[in-house]
Amino acid sequence: MSNPEKPMKPRALHYPLFAAALLLPLLSPGLALAAPAGTVVGLSGASIVESGGARGAAKLGQPVQVGDTIEVPADGKLKLRMADGSVISVAAGTRLTIAAYGVDAAGQRQDARLSLAQGLLRAVVAPVERPARFEVDTAVGAAAVRSTDWFVEGSATAMQIGVLTGSVEMTSAATKRSETIPARWGARLEAGRDPVPPRVWSPAEFAAVIARTDVK
Amino acid sequence: MGLRKSCAAAVAALVLGVGSPANRANAYSATGDRLFPATLVLPQIAPGDEFYVNAMTMPLAGGTAGAASRASNFTATYTKTITDRLGIVLDETWTRIDRVGAGSLNGWQNTDTAIKYLAIVDQPHEFLFTVGLDREFGGTGASRAGASASGATTPTVFFGKGLGDLDIGYWRPLAVTGSVGYQIADTHPRPNLVTPGFVVEYSIPYLQSKVQSLDLPEFVRGLTPMTEVLFTIPGGQSFGARTTALVAPGVSYAGEGWELAIEGLVPTSRATGRGVGAIAQFHLSLDFVAPETIGRPLLSAP
Repeated sequence: MSNPEKPMKPRALHYPLFAAALLLPLLSPGLALAAPAGTVVGLSGASIVESGGARGAAKLGQPVQVGDTIEVPADGKLKLRMADGSVISVAAGTRLTIAAYGVDAAGQRQDARLSLAQGLLRAVVAPVERPARFEVDTAVGAAAVRSTDWFVEGSATAMQIGVLTGSVEMTSAATKRSETIPARWGARLEAGRDPVPPRVWSPAEFAAVIARTDVK
Repeated sequence: MGLRKSCAAAVAALVLGVGSPANRANAYSATGDRLFPATLVLPQIAPGDEFYVNAMTMPLAGGTAGAASRASNFTATYTKTITDRLGIVLDETWTRIDRVGAGSLNGWQNTDTAIKYLAIVDQPHEFLFTVGLDREFGGTGASRAGASASGATTPTVFFGKGLGDLDIGYWRPLAVTGSVGYQIADTHPRPNLVTPGFVVEYSIPYLQSKVQSLDLPEFVRGLTPMTEVLFTIPGGQSFGARTTALVAPGVSYAGEGWELAIEGLVPTSRATGRGVGAIAQFHLSLDFVAPETIGRPLLSAP
């Protein structure tokens, strides 16, 4: 409904504005049109995708969008292939929200942010040509990478990270202190504290998280 | 290791007239959320991929012309993992001995190697246990600098225990590490020696990350005050060797992949030394700075 207090603009002025609004995303070098953030490519058990307030069973090939929340039950696993080629394997008992996932027209990730409320995921993050962060937030801190193969497990009181290749920076939400975790190393972070200094993870520790995120 | 060699060359060889005890390696190691910083006097308690250098100087008894008045050592050590639990150690020490009214003597100590196996890692209890075998090759160093013509073999056990699993509040950052070795000389008159030692340390990084994050200055957050205590006790026929005890209070600062530490060297008897010395060490974690190349075990999954 138009506001009677304001004079209406001539209709001719509306068409260019409308056209510009439609064309703007195409002219922008950064953003593609509403492509899905990723696709479900592996599934075991009855996982749920919550999208726009609607909850439904996850299906192979199903697209997931920014804002969607994925819940994997205690007997399930799920794997996503993201729009930039990154692969995220989600372990049983995990609740994950895709908070942001910007990809340009060439399929290069701009900034990606996942919110891990609970559980464990493995992220094989695709490399990009220019600086673009891939970040996972938890209740107690955040982990950021550019390209790497790594694990992050989070809960309301702690998070821990293990890195197979590349390196990850883990930052405490409370103290803002960071630790860099290189390949073959891992570290923990407890609520309200500095990150625990990293250490070399044993092959058994990596084997455990690989098994939990291995989606057939 | 450096200090043991220095004590060997400076104290044992020059004061007691015997050869040096075997060298050992120091570095950091970890179990669970507990990191044991690199020690300067006592050995590393687990295998690792490290390179470090240390320098020490210590006054000696002096006396008549030609007597040793000061010993200084410069040691470089390289440690390499074969598997994630098995590793080797190589080190070399250069010694300078200042004398009363005479020129200084200098030269290399005997080449020293070791092999270590990490036998027990109990992460919840912040405990680890390692067995090792050290081998000093006699006659490979300069006798004028105190290197013994006789080699020695030293089976050793190592341990580390953090107190973080106990409900003791602000004492949880405390940890104790240590080792006990029995050095068996190849030939007499070099004596056999029992070499026990321990370290008490309080980790500020552990306090900040596991107990309570206090508003401490950045520099303080990386500090671990610690005190090392090392004994050498003749085992069997002493050949003039006496029991020595050295106390080394100091502090270690941990950066990302490196540590810098400094300690005083306080002899507790005339047989140990005369006057307070000092030791400093720079330690580089190769498994941190080059985790996918020289910093990984030789035999490990790709």
